[in-house]
Amino acid sequence: MEQALYISRLQQLDYIRDDFTRLYFGAEFCERLIPDPAEALRVAEFAHGRGLALTLMTPYVTDSGLDRLSPVLDALRDEQMPVEVVFNDWGVLDLLRHDYPEFVPVMGRLLNKTKRGPRIMNIIDKLPGSCRNYFESCVLSVGEACDFLKKRAVYRVEFDNQLQGIRLENTDPGIAKSLYVPYVFVSTTRYCLSAGCDDYGRMDFVGVQPCSRECRDYVFQLDNPVMRVPLLRRGNAVFYVNDRMPDCLAGSNFDRIVVQPEMPV
Amino acid sequence: MKVLSPLDSAAEVDLLVDAGAAEFYCGLLDERWHERYPVMSMNRRPAGKGHFRTFSSLREAVMRAHDRGAQVYFTLNEHYYTAEQYEILWYYIDGALEAGIDAFIVTDFGLIASLHARQYRVALHCSTGATVFNRRSVDFFKELGVVNITLPRHLSVPELRSLSAHVSGVDLTVFILNSRCVNVDGFCTFQHGLAGREIPPMYRNACMLPFQVSGFRMQDCAQPQALPQEACQVRRQKLWERVHVDDHPCGACALYDLYRMGIGSVKIVGRGNPLERKQKDVAFISTLIERARCDDGDRAGFLLHARDLYIQTYERNCRAFMCYYPELL
Repeated sequence: MEQALYISRLQQLDYIRDDFTRLYFGAEFCERLIPDPAEALRVAEFAHGRGLALTLMTPYVTDSGLDRLSPVLDALRDEQMPVEVVFNDWGVLDLLRHDYPEFVPVMGRLLNKTKRGPRIMNIIDKLPGSCRNYFESCVLSVGEACDFLKKRAVYRVEFDNQLQGIRLENTDPGIAKSLYVPYVFVSTTRYCLSAGCDDYGRMDFVGVQPCSRECRDYVFQLDNPVMRVPLLRRGNAVFYVNDRMPDCLAGSNFDRIVVQPEMPV
Repeated sequence: MKVLSPLDSAAEVDLLVDAGAAEFYCGLLDERWHERYPVMSMNRRPAGKGHFRTFSSLREAVMRAHDRGAQVYFTLNEHYYTAEQYEILWYYIDGALEAGIDAFIVTDFGLIASLHARQYRVALHCSTGATVFNRRSVDFFKELGVVNITLPRHLSVPELRSLSAHVSGVDLTVFILNSRCVNVDGFCTFQHGLAGREIPPMYRNACMLPFQVSGFRMQDCAQPQALPQEACQVRRQKLWERVHVDDHPCGACALYDLYRMGIGSVKIVGRGNPLERKQKDVAFISTLIERARCDDGDRAGFLLHARDLYIQTYERNCRAFMCYYPELL
């Protein structure tokens, strides 16, 4: 089983351990956090020096985000290192296919839309098998979906360790699967409640607004009795923690564990 | 620019066309689905009101709409379907086609691929769930034969302007009224419809729940430092409880700009709303589109008029947290 470390900031390189053979770096949820080319190159040099494979994380992006992403991809291409790129936006896959075919595209966990809200655990045992199967299964159970991905050179899909468990036995073995631990992504917004949260004057503003990367300064925990686990909001994304590894890990369904030492924002 | 209106029954067609609707979106759920998937939807609307119940009633609605020059789109926009759901999905797809619908509204790439594999020749529209935020994403879906894309709620007017300037060959639809969701629809993995009866309706969806919020400062601290409850950073996190309740969120002020960008349609959310509410919503937006068309050069005058008409129609003031495009306020 391949072990990968996922970091979103250079300072987190300290989390590296000997058993990691791959390094994930970048931003999954916000285009403002896309690293600049110099940062990406520093991480690439670090990975190269340690003999680690490299995976670049990319978020969903507006046109402006696309323009910000291209220089990073250009810089990594110039290094002529084999690089995986996790896409969480079909437009980024389009960009990779047409402009950067040398990179290996990987479908991110935002496009793998399994249900992850923890409230499902309140009723999962009462549901008929058909519903339970749905919540535990995924789009990769559909052969045409797998063919669709493979036709576009996508041979790996990223998964969260959702509380209700994961069933992969009916999925195409020709598509590799990675499992993210322990933070489970639940939801994201562009109406970021960390943006401008230091400013009383912006208290009631809900929209796309400028920020000073307050997401790097604050974490919020959201508790309600109907949620089995606390929700954690950092920046424009919501997560929970699931430390229990899924039963299907014992089979050969996942071939990579992606360790997030901190919430990946 | 057309008004895309929700539609729940054939009896609504003429009245909503009279109010200004030129396009409808709708769904159909019957026992065949409910028996297998009682807590889930096929089309992003929970069981209950807001669906056609029979294909004969759908066929009647399509015929009435076509007679009036309007189109009807059928929603199959759940974020993903699994292999075992397809047998039942084909039943709804074939039934909708026989009823004469003009397009399917879809999200799931697996469904698009499956429709292609079966060589179905039907117009495809992308739901907002497809999360098309940029020009390359438009190109991606255009290559898949999609002819209309409903963009995410979370694009600002300048971002819509930039995107629409780079797009050709695909019609764009944007949200204009009701249900301003705080999460990006297509990336939100909360499952609606799971709340028990003891939960008040306004808290049924996870994003609406009144959470106890604890805040922590992370920067330059060996240990996270707890923030007081009255800190503005913490208080701001509670804002979402107030936003998702469907208290008439509106983006009508943007119609002047949207019209000039060449946006093809504006969408009113509201499957399941009473007919009177739908009529009021459609008439409100249609009136303003006509005004936007005529008010060439008087953007400021349009904005004032739109706000006055909103207050007059809904008897509510404009509120920043209920505004789809608050950058215009």
